[in-house]
Amino acid sequence: MGSLSYLPQILVSGLGIGCVYGLIGIGFCVIYNASGIVNFAQGAFVMLGGMVTFVLMQRAGLPLPVAAVIAIAGVAGLGVVVERLVVRPLWNRNATMFVMILATLAAQIVVERSTLLLVGDQPKTLPMFTDRPPLMLAGVAISYQLLWIVGCSLAVVGLLALFFRTTRTGKAMRAVAIDREAAALQGIPVSRMLALAFALSAALGAIGGILITPTQFTAFDIGVPFAISGFIAAIVGGFGRPFGAFLGGLTLGVIQSIAIVSFGAGLKNVAALSVLLVFLFIRPSGILGPAK
Amino acid sequence: MTAAAAAGPAEVLATVGLTARYGSIEALAPTDMHVEDGELVAVLGPNGAGKSTLLRALMGLVTNGGTVRFRGRPLPRRDPVAVAASGVVLVPEGRGIFGPMTVAENLELGAYRLGRDKAEFERRWTRVFDLFPRLKERLGQVAGSMSGGEQQMLAIGRALMADPKVLLLDEPSLGLAPRVTAEILETLHRLNQGGLPVILVEQKAPLALKLAKRAYLLSVGRIVATIDPREITSYDDIAKHYFA
Ligand SMILES: Nc1ncnc2c1ncn2[C@@H]1O[C@H](COP(=O)(O)OP(=O)(O)OP(=O)(O)O)[C@@H](O)[C@H]1O
Ligand SMILES: [Mg+2]
Repeated sequence: MGSLSYLPQILVSGLGIGCVYGLIGIGFCVIYNASGIVNFAQGAFVMLGGMVTFVLMQRAGLPLPVAAVIAIAGVAGLGVVVERLVVRPLWNRNATMFVMILATLAAQIVVERSTLLLVGDQPKTLPMFTDRPPLMLAGVAISYQLLWIVGCSLAVVGLLALFFRTTRTGKAMRAVAIDREAAALQGIPVSRMLALAFALSAALGAIGGILITPTQFTAFDIGVPFAISGFIAAIVGGFGRPFGAFLGGLTLGVIQSIAIVSFGAGLKNVAALSVLLVFLFIRPSGILGPAK
Repeated sequence: MTAAAAAGPAEVLATVGLTARYGSIEALAPTDMHVEDGELVAVLGPNGAGKSTLLRALMGLVTNGGTVRFRGRPLPRRDPVAVAASGVVLVPEGRGIFGPMTVAENLELGAYRLGRDKAEFERRWTRVFDLFPRLKERLGQVAGSMSGGEQQMLAIGRALMADPKVLLLDEPSLGLAPRVTAEILETLHRLNQGGLPVILVEQKAPLALKLAKRAYLLSVGRIVATIDPREITSYDDIAKHYFA
């Protein structure tokens, strides 16, 4: 056990990655609520967010904000494609949930391998959004990228809350999550809501991917670890509760960074899985308790 | 009851040889029934007779065969969203309210198909509170925390927000105190008097027969009798007439 004297610094960096886990976790919840499916293609969306932005900047010479917006929209579109091509046909055939979850995993692999073929296996990165030395606050270094990550994530979560609470479509999505049959009986287009859930989740993943890439790197195979972390965030938050998932992400991020500093980077995933096990044993309904 | 229901000019909704199955079990034999303009039709029968199955087949919620005709046109067979959108609205058994959402949100979702027509929304909104004043006091309350009777009122109110052309109800009295049941049936009567055709599924025959113009008796997945409520007002009468 080394350097816990850096605790504030560790917390700060944990919150950064935690926000990203949280966004991914929300993505899991949004799809799960709309359909009961755990979508393991979620990691592909995270990877593509950073990767597509990189390609648009490198090869098309677009400025970062433009590239990012196009990437998010494109990945959201891909979410709908996955829903239409993979999930919907199985759904219409009354496939079991297990089959559908496996199908999303297959979609993840297809995206991963296609990316490998198209852009190769070299890690890529994005420039810092604001290229300045970190701020020093009471001895804690806070990078501008961290501010971007936290700021954008909170903004996204806030907008999402507003969407679900105040808009007609947002309320309809909640209704579908609560009782799909009753929603259909009110004429709410249930299957369109499912496509929308995939678009939203994919966009959330892409945003997370774009925000985190400047601090790390992106490569064709980073999706699965992110998906696992986001999945754990969702479970820790009480599966099906989007805002619980965000808290779960923050918790996981902080615990992971403490583990990295204390035991070394190799144990990062051990820490994540331990968190998962602890929650499964002690509080299976998550921080906020069960959904519904 | 084998001949197809007469497709008179006033027919609103009719089933023609409608069937339903759960897996390989046929739960509804080919069924012909209909409701005319301004009618309240009751569907009676004991537990497990297939009353809910009939309504669910009508809405396209279960694997079904045959035809449902609405104002002369066949309805889509396995598409409850489209059936609801065309104005055939079911208040399901168990009410199906969105429990974690507020009363106001539940009602708003009833008008999902309306889009942004504010004036029409207001008209429906006022009508619901005119029928169920109690809901107006509860707008901000989480729907699942209301009493059973209030939840049933909400379920009917939500269906009315869709401005149904035919209203189907599956045992609205289930689990409610007699006084609340009477209140709800009285409201249904008012709605029907206002010109809304209703199909009311009930186990409590005397109550339903008081309101109904006609009643179908279901037993083991088929219609075994069509009843005139002027002659028959209870299960005892039914038993005397049909199983004597
Ligand atoms: N999902 C299902 N799977 C298999 N069988 C079913 C299913 N739902 C209903 N049934 C069967 O179909 C028959 C008719 O059921 P249904 O629910 O329509 O009866 P009901 O008249 O509405 O009864 P109740 O008054 O108890 O509501 C019953 O034998 C029932 O067991
Ligand atoms: Mg029933």
